[in-house]
Amino acid sequence: MKSQATTTNTLIQVVSVLGFLAVWEAVSRTNMVSPLIPPPSSILSAFRREQADGIWSANVAATAGHYVWGVLIGTVAGIALGYAAALSPVVEACQEGVARLLRPIPPLAWVPFAIIWFGISELAAAFIIAIGAFWVNYFSAYSGVQAIDRRLFEMCATFGQGGWWARVIKVVIPGSAPSVLAGIRSGLGIGWFAVLAAELFGIPGIGQRMQEASGMLATDVVLLYMATIALCYTACDAAMVLVSRRMLQWLA
Amino acid sequence: MARVNMLPQLPVVVELFDISLGYGRRAEPILTDVSFSVREGQFLVIVGPSGVGKSSLLRVVSGLVKPQKGDVYVQPQTRRESRSLGFVFQDPLLLPWRRVLTNVELGLEGLIASRAERRDRALEALSLVGLESHAGKWPNALSGGERQRVGIARALAVQPSLLLMDEPFGALDPGTREALQDELLGIWEKTRTSVMFITHDMNEATYLGDRVIVLGGKPATIVHDILVDEPRPRLRTRPAEGDFAGFLYKTFSSKR
Repeated sequence: MKSQATTTNTLIQVVSVLGFLAVWEAVSRTNMVSPLIPPPSSILSAFRREQADGIWSANVAATAGHYVWGVLIGTVAGIALGYAAALSPVVEACQEGVARLLRPIPPLAWVPFAIIWFGISELAAAFIIAIGAFWVNYFSAYSGVQAIDRRLFEMCATFGQGGWWARVIKVVIPGSAPSVLAGIRSGLGIGWFAVLAAELFGIPGIGQRMQEASGMLATDVVLLYMATIALCYTACDAAMVLVSRRMLQWLA
Repeated sequence: MARVNMLPQLPVVVELFDISLGYGRRAEPILTDVSFSVREGQFLVIVGPSGVGKSSLLRVVSGLVKPQKGDVYVQPQTRRESRSLGFVFQDPLLLPWRRVLTNVELGLEGLIASRAERRDRALEALSLVGLESHAGKWPNALSGGERQRVGIARALAVQPSLLLMDEPFGALDPGTREALQDELLGIWEKTRTSVMFITHDMNEATYLGDRVIVLGGKPATIVHDILVDEPRPRLRTRPAEGDFAGFLYKTFSSKR
């Protein structure tokens, strides 16, 4: 029953995407509203033109580089500090004010400083992305630990597992995993948003290429990179869903 | 029924001396002058109204809570690869991210180095509660009664000298509760582990215990300490037992 419902659901999704593309294609071909947006079929020809000189793959590689470093640093730092705040009353007291002060600042507001500190460089882009990924991971790790049933710690202590290390390994990390994994997933999404924005400020990558293309009114090229980002995002998100499902079998 | 001092003098597993308990160091005590010992193989039930500090007594024995006054003696564990105490809680408190088998292994970690040995001990404990076939399941996939059985297996796996049970069947439906009471008696007869069992249910106390300690009054203290020398298996419903439960009930209500 359940699998049948899932199949129907997937079918509806595929049909709706195809329908969307078909309507889009038809509307742009009739030239009713021109210039609206190039038809989806133009993405393929744009891809062939861009990739002829290897521009597409070079830009994707550059962006992926910024993305991976930024997300990695932001995620690791966020989770580490979130755990530290949840586990140590001293760190918790220290972070409270600072976090309240810094958290509302959107990652992009850091762009001027990123450029002053790191120049127009890979590092500047990674920094912006890292800030974006940092906060969501920080709060998910912190609240993930807070949400663990305190009685489990006492239960563990009565079974000889009351040491700091045993608590962290046997309760804190597995118990906060659902929240932490959800945080990583949102961080991956925020990362794609931030990488593009950072590159629009001139750091080489997909964002900068889109800026160039729009300057030359090459809307099909802009569209190509929009589609590229959408694909990357979807792939990351789907991978993360699979990983989470595998790690959180016990929730089912 | 006879007085406690007629018990054969078996070694003491746990002894409490003049325990006073309260929330906080200087607060009014909720429990005063509680002294008793549990001897090897004994099934001791502590019964009293809720809020009287029964669970806190268990936490004093475990060392999780320091009493305002008094001392606790726990017989040192002499057997290798065992712990002195095995705990069973009202809410089984299984680790939901561990399968049944590794939940039962929890108390053996740091006690038995070999993974295979831990596994054997855990399976042995699971077979005592009849859940060997559930070893690979997640706690979320079990019923309430099965979860509590896993909790009991986890405590038995450390082969404790004393099993401490804090209203373990309080949250179960009546049918499951009776089934688990009988299972527990079966395990107790097989393993001869001493048990300190806490409940607020008088019928449960008289059905299970060799000896029933009744807490009551304000601040609470021991109002009755009764040896129940009725043969087992005991009947659940018969006039004598009804009378006894009624007697206990009256003592409680008059002392409160």
